[in-house]
Amino acid sequence: MDGRRVRERIVEDRVSEVLREWEEYARRGNLRVRGYQIVRGPAGNTRVGEEEEDEFLIVYRPHGVLYHHSLGRVSKFFKGLIEGKLYGTKCPICGTVYCPPRAHCWNPDCRAQPTEWVELPKKGRVHTFSIMLFSADAFLDQLPFILGYVQIDGAHTALPIQILAPPTHVWIGQEVKIKFREERRGELMDIYAVPIPGQKPPEWSCLHRDPRALKDLERDLEKVYKFLEERFGIKKDDVVKRWEEALRE
Amino acid sequence: MVRVAVVGGGLFRPDRVRYEVAEEGVAEAYRMLLEDTPELDPRDIEFVQCSYFSDHLNQQLCMSWIIQDYIGQHRKGGYRVEAGGSTPLDAIINAYFLIRSGEFDLVLVAGWEWMSEVDTATTNEFIASASDTDWDFTVGGYYNGYYAALELRHMQLYGETVEDLGMLAVRNRNNAVHNPYSQWRAEHGTSYVTLDDYFNDRIVAWPYRRWNCALISEGAAVLLLASERVARKYSDSPMWIRGIGLGTDSMRPGDRLANWAYKGVFPDCEAIYPSFIEKPLTPYPEMANFGFAREAARQAYVKAGISNPVRELDIAELFAPYDGVEICLYEDLMWCPRGEGKRMVREGIVMRGGELPCQLSGGLTAFAHPVGATSLLQTLFLYWELTEQIPKKFGDPKLQVSGAEKALITGHGGTGCQGGVIIFSR
Repeated sequence: MDGRRVRERIVEDRVSEVLREWEEYARRGNLRVRGYQIVRGPAGNTRVGEEEEDEFLIVYRPHGVLYHHSLGRVSKFFKGLIEGKLYGTKCPICGTVYCPPRAHCWNPDCRAQPTEWVELPKKGRVHTFSIMLFSADAFLDQLPFILGYVQIDGAHTALPIQILAPPTHVWIGQEVKIKFREERRGELMDIYAVPIPGQKPPEWSCLHRDPRALKDLERDLEKVYKFLEERFGIKKDDVVKRWEEALRE
Repeated sequence: MVRVAVVGGGLFRPDRVRYEVAEEGVAEAYRMLLEDTPELDPRDIEFVQCSYFSDHLNQQLCMSWIIQDYIGQHRKGGYRVEAGGSTPLDAIINAYFLIRSGEFDLVLVAGWEWMSEVDTATTNEFIASASDTDWDFTVGGYYNGYYAALELRHMQLYGETVEDLGMLAVRNRNNAVHNPYSQWRAEHGTSYVTLDDYFNDRIVAWPYRRWNCALISEGAAVLLLASERVARKYSDSPMWIRGIGLGTDSMRPGDRLANWAYKGVFPDCEAIYPSFIEKPLTPYPEMANFGFAREAARQAYVKAGISNPVRELDIAELFAPYDGVEICLYEDLMWCPRGEGKRMVREGIVMRGGELPCQLSGGLTAFAHPVGATSLLQTLFLYWELTEQIPKKFGDPKLQVSGAEKALITGHGGTGCQGGVIIFSR
């Protein structure tokens, strides 16, 4: 046991399998060279097109780590996700409701006042969003997805959250419900937002009033579906079904 | 207090992949400085201000120690500053403070970034770990997505269009083809592109296409900063730092809806808000604008004695890793009222030949964005502009703004979490 963790008492442990997996990974060794290439490539500090060529040795060496990270005094928010509840914090002085929660109020008038927990309703409004057609490795198989910032009803700040809906069925001001995934582990991906049914985009929605934007999005979404099929064997129909199911629930 | 000037610099041409390592790249940039500044005895340099962003990208902590000894500048003082994309601008400002305090007369600023030692998705992940990893990162966020969401909010509130973003993307490329050190030119040659080409480019995070996004680069740059006591020993035409400003905003952009530190500070900006959308508790900057830039510009303009930036400035290099950032910055730098940034594009004010041309270098999306070197590259470009060296340096006079006297640079990190503004003049 780490020295740092001597005084703690484990209340619930859902990590042993992961620790075994990572122990094996760590034994492969960080920074140890696993292989190499010799390449010829451009060299020298010149303008474009005036380079010389040289031979370079490229070594391949891994680096992987497993962190144990406390979520601090806002752990209750993430425990709430596991329990199927949505919490924010409220400053007893200025009344600001934070979701994401802050354990201390950041209003200069409140002098770092500790906040109080409040349970929030599982609905809110889209403050802004982006339609993601490319992502980091861990999310590639979930493309295309909507990265949203949702203001939970009763909160004054916006929570980062994925919105599960057809990629062009989203707009600023849209009302959403917050849903919980079956399997949860205390992170924001435990929840997602779905549009409350029956809403139509307002005529001022910058995406929907631009026919070219919608057409270009459709064009490039097809490229994403093709990528999903080639890389992961995921069919477009299955992706569409995911959104339909989310909207129906 | 003593005045401070940029008296020289050098670069190591940035590209997607450079096979030389960072210390060799910095040494090449330093060699360019020494060649251009024969009066400079390396022993005259009193302090080395290092600038690089990521410890992850190269599996190396304390890389500035490698750099400083490699170019033989060890023994004397030196350290690194780091603040994401703001790193190189902060390095220049810190060097300015070191000289302005009277402590040093001659400081070398050295910046670099090597960003292609991991695959593209991992590079994006490493960079995204500069966002809040407990919150923003966990839902599939990375900077393309964050900035796209910020731009979408601004677009919805103030009505710029995808075409406005396209005009900036096209402008940056058609400037960069005249910059023989630009990554765009290395990858695509010297032909111009059109708005139609832009619309054929692939969307990565709506409303952004690939062309709207910063490049991934490996490269380096150095600048030599001097006090007025010694400046003219190294340069006949120093570029003086007339004013600087610094600012910050919240780490998480979603928190800016109840942004108490900004409440009431810029009431005119708070008032310009469309009626069809509900106002957040604190309407400026919220997720639509860059409060740090407004705060920094306010300080810098006062120090530089600037009251009408568009008229008084001749050229600007903005930190726009995504094209929409520029439209917001026009407003936050007080070039126009909030919501009118699109006008600067449509009226051609920020285009080549316009009243205040921006990103003549090609900027972060077409010149390069090796993070720790980016603002140094842009500052060096401005130095060559203000000293009329572009025709000589580029072998092409197209980008030279004849008679340019005053220039602005801004830099920032994160989603506008930290940044600054510098005003230069001949």
